Amino acid sequence: MVISAEARSRIDGEIAKYPRRRGALLPALHIVHEERGHVDVDTAREIGEIFEIRPIEVMEVVSFYNMFFSQPQAKHHVYVCTNLPCSLRGARGLYEELKRHLEVDASGNTADGRIHLGHEECLGACAYAPMMRVDDTYHEDLEAGAAKAVVDGLD
Amino acid sequence: MLKVPYTTGYLSEHFADDDYTTLEGYRRRGGYEAAKKALTQMAPADLIELVKDSGLQGRGGAGFSAGMKWSFMPTDTDKPKYLVCNADESEPGSFKDRILIERGAHQMLEGILIAGWATGAEKTFVYIRGEYAEPARILQRAIDEATEAGLFGASCLGTGFRHEVVMQRGAGAYICGEETGLLESLEGKKGQPRKKPPFPAQYGAFGMPTTVNNVETFSHVPHIVAKGADWFRSLGTEKSPGHTIFGVSGHVARPGLYELPLGTPLSEIVFEHAGGVRGGRKVKGVIPGGMSMPILPASELDVPMANEFLREKKTMLGTGGVMVMDETTCMVRAATVITYFFRDESCGQCTQCREGTGWMNKIALRIERGSGSREDLDLLLDVAGKMEGQTICAFADAAAWPVQGLLRHFREDFEAHVREKKCPFPESFEL
Amino acid sequence: MPTITVDGNELEVEEGRTVLQALDDAGLLMNGVDVPHYCWHPKLSIDGSCRLCQVEIEGMPKLQIACNTPVTDGMVVNTTNDRVQTARQGVMELLLVNHPLDCPICDQAGECKLQDYAYEYGVTQARTQEPRRALKKNVDLGPTIVFDQERCILCRRCVRFCREVPETGELVVQGRGDHSVIETFEGVPLDNDYSMNVADICPVGALTTKDFRFKIRVWFLQDVPGVCTGCARGCNVHLGVANNKVYRYVPRRNDAVNETWICDEGRMSYKRIGAEDRLPRALLRGELGVPEAVSFDDAITAAAQKLLRLREAKGAGAIAGVASAHATNEDLFVFRRLLDALGVEVSGVAVPRGRSDDRLIHAEKAANAAGARALGFGDAGAVAERIRSGAVEGLIVLGHDLLETVGGVEALSGLDTIVALDSHASDLQRVAHVLLPTRVAAEKHGSLTNCDGRVQKVEPAVEPGFDARAEGAVLAELGAALGLPGFDGRFDPFEVSKALAESAPAFAGAALDALGDTGVAPGDPV
Repeated sequence: MVISAEARSRIDGEIAKYPRRRGALLPALHIVHEERGHVDVDTAREIGEIFEIRPIEVMEVVSFYNMFFSQPQAKHHVYVCTNLPCSLRGARGLYEELKRHLEVDASGNTADGRIHLGHEECLGACAYAPMMRVDDTYHEDLEAGAAKAVVDGLD
Repeated sequence: MLKVPYTTGYLSEHFADDDYTTLEGYRRRGGYEAAKKALTQMAPADLIELVKDSGLQGRGGAGFSAGMKWSFMPTDTDKPKYLVCNADESEPGSFKDRILIERGAHQMLEGILIAGWATGAEKTFVYIRGEYAEPARILQRAIDEATEAGLFGASCLGTGFRHEVVMQRGAGAYICGEETGLLESLEGKKGQPRKKPPFPAQYGAFGMPTTVNNVETFSHVPHIVAKGADWFRSLGTEKSPGHTIFGVSGHVARPGLYELPLGTPLSEIVFEHAGGVRGGRKVKGVIPGGMSMPILPASELDVPMANEFLREKKTMLGTGGVMVMDETTCMVRAATVITYFFRDESCGQCTQCREGTGWMNKIALRIERGSGSREDLDLLLDVAGKMEGQTICAFADAAAWPVQGLLRHFREDFEAHVREKKCPFPESFEL
Repeated sequence: MPTITVDGNELEVEEGRTVLQALDDAGLLMNGVDVPHYCWHPKLSIDGSCRLCQVEIEGMPKLQIACNTPVTDGMVVNTTNDRVQTARQGVMELLLVNHPLDCPICDQAGECKLQDYAYEYGVTQARTQEPRRALKKNVDLGPTIVFDQERCILCRRCVRFCREVPETGELVVQGRGDHSVIETFEGVPLDNDYSMNVADICPVGALTTKDFRFKIRVWFLQDVPGVCTGCARGCNVHLGVANNKVYRYVPRRNDAVNETWICDEGRMSYKRIGAEDRLPRALLRGELGVPEAVSFDDAITAAAQKLLRLREAKGAGAIAGVASAHATNEDLFVFRRLLDALGVEVSGVAVPRGRSDDRLIHAEKAANAAGARALGFGDAGAVAERIRSGAVEGLIVLGHDLLETVGGVEALSGLDTIVALDSHASDLQRVAHVLLPTRVAAEKHGSLTNCDGRVQKVEPAVEPGFDARAEGAVLAELGAALGLPGFDGRFDPFEVSKALAESAPAFAGAALDALGDTGVAPGDPV
């Protein structure tokens, strides 16, 4: 068993809300990502069993969405929005500064693998640009100093 | 920066009050009275007529008559019926649904309850974009509060009408904001839009009759029920009644949210409410309704913000996401940002969209880099033209329109890149 | 029945069909009315994503995809005007934006729908300057199929096929937008009984079979209509022939038998035609018991002599005839007449058996068991019993499936006379006194009756390259050598089939020249 009993129980709770089991697949994938950070082959098999679908169908869904991953992830995701309203207010410059500050490699990861820096499309904070999403939290109205302080404060 | 709207109205007048976000605080200000009136005094058919009469247009971008949409739900079926609240707000430049949830969740839920009664739906799925983690927490709290208080459940407000609300978080895909893409995602699949027909009212969530409405659309409903269709029509324009919450971003002095009547001139929004262009600069162009809507040049900003007027200018209200670009802005750079977005977010089903979004982005990048030719400008327009009106959903149109708009009004920016083989706007936002 | 108008011509259609289905039902699709398409397939669910089948429908402002538009009475469809042509050009140009210029090395060339439609409906000049996306070109999807990710046009036929036909669902589209790719799950390759059908339905060279890879250019192949002889289903095929050799089977559409599919094992059974274990010459067991190569005539003469001697000594009751379920109805009709004329009453057919499924794979592993039974050949077990008891001392046996029935060649080693007709080597060679090489279905004219009683024809696609003859021809000569009335040594399958058609209800209306490309079920209106 790859998925914890606690996660399993939460998943069952979600399944109960839907007329068809599969309706709870995205909620289940969120729960699994909270626990494991990504969906590997074994996890896909287990999820497939829970939802009575093939493992490949699980991977198909994982591959479609930006917030789901099939490979192990860094502990923290830092995403700077670089869409139009944010770019108009200097988002890309901020992104480049953070890149330098964190010294990330070509795939966006810090040397110790704790932080992944990337960019995302519009996050719904256009008036508070530039901004970034760090895991579940938005940090808005950023200037470089504040942004660096946020990432420096990550464990 | 204020998060709550700078100018308020019936939708957002209480957003600054923290206790308005609690059930008790909401009720103290008259919350759920409209729902009580609807569920105990009005027949569903009459309720639908009321909403039709009010002229409420959907606020998710398409502007379709909400009452008409509700009337498409079959009345003579024993299949379970569902509502879906589209809280996937991912249109660049839009952030109004976020505040409506963060500060007005109960208002939206009340609209949902009324809509449920009107359409005979037994359950509403609120699909909220995955990145809105905090708004989702707030919303789930409000749902739990309302359910515990008997507003939702086996017998809403003790009337015997059964309606439950289930919240599902998306996981980062813009196309899940498309009605049928959302339904696919809700069902636990890739969010790839469905062929139409059949339409959601016939075959929707889990194959059952379904109506999908935007967060803001639901939020207007309690006010229409409380104050009537005539009241709603007294606001806004004849064809586009009511208020909406505009989100203003970009090079303005005061970016933020503004609740205003539909029909407010765009120039008023930009120059009066949002304080004009920062640093005393001049406007170059404004996207009026979210990034899918074609841009308007500085000379055409006097237009009333309502579909019947915007259509004449070859653009639309969309989600009211007003993006202001000043004179330093390079429109070719804007084109690369816009085309990258659509390339990344295409679901990939339809040939024209999958290949066209990729190709347009590549061409735009090439022009921006200085390797473009004059033929490339026509090529860009041609590719956009090949994408319009021929796909399973309107994403391809949404991808084509901004490119057409930019070339329509700012062709000289593109020509400058071709001529000078580099960006001629040294102060433009960097890429 | 609703009536629609297509390009000015009226067409009566069935209620509930789409425009594309209606054209297909009428046999007009790409055969009088051109509506090019990729993702639609007559036997798979509707997809609607390639957008190529757009047509103009009067009264509808936008072009509609014909594959998902239900017909309505009075609908007016236009498939040829400028609007439609422009839309097709748009789709074709966009499909070629990322498609690699692989034609010179791609197996699909010559039967590629991208080539065909680009030529017919596309643009002639490429306008892309950017490099195409680079993906994997030689993905081992499973035991039978190679996948080229770059060539894929994402029509999703293969995905739907695996889900809907073998119902194994190994394939999905992963990712989004122009980075979508067809994938399998780690450790779950594309591996099912019908896997090679994906290469047929793939409109381009993204999915190709390992078996056919790089073997020959398809424009050298002649497509000869025929029938698979691997089991009693009789799936319709085209034999791909060049240089007097069969290079492959591809399924041929027959909605009454196999729709558009064939199982992998049947598809690969073409290899039996030119196999190395074909019997190339007549053999006669000499004085010392060693088989010697002889002429056909000498072998037949010797066979007749041995049979007549046995009949004289022990009576016709000591001789049995065992038919082959691989032989044609015409072959077996001659056999039946020979046995009757010879006075042989003990007969049967040995039918090889194997596994079956609830789709196409039938348990009887020969193409004409039903035909043999309709000609009065019952279970060969009865013959085996009489061999065991010693009542039968002589055999005229077609094929070697009898060995399975009797439990091995030793059971036959005590027989006085074994005259065998066979196409492939087997233990029978060790005991047969006379062995006469025969032709397989792909080398002769004839008909075969499938498990549903449907009579389908085969025709010669290749010549064996050695002196092998149809069983009917061999038996006609044997009959003459035996001096039997009605046997002049000639065998004309067409003549025989006419006589056969009049002889029994199972063959009524099923003479060779009435069978057409898709066969006849006696009971079909003539």
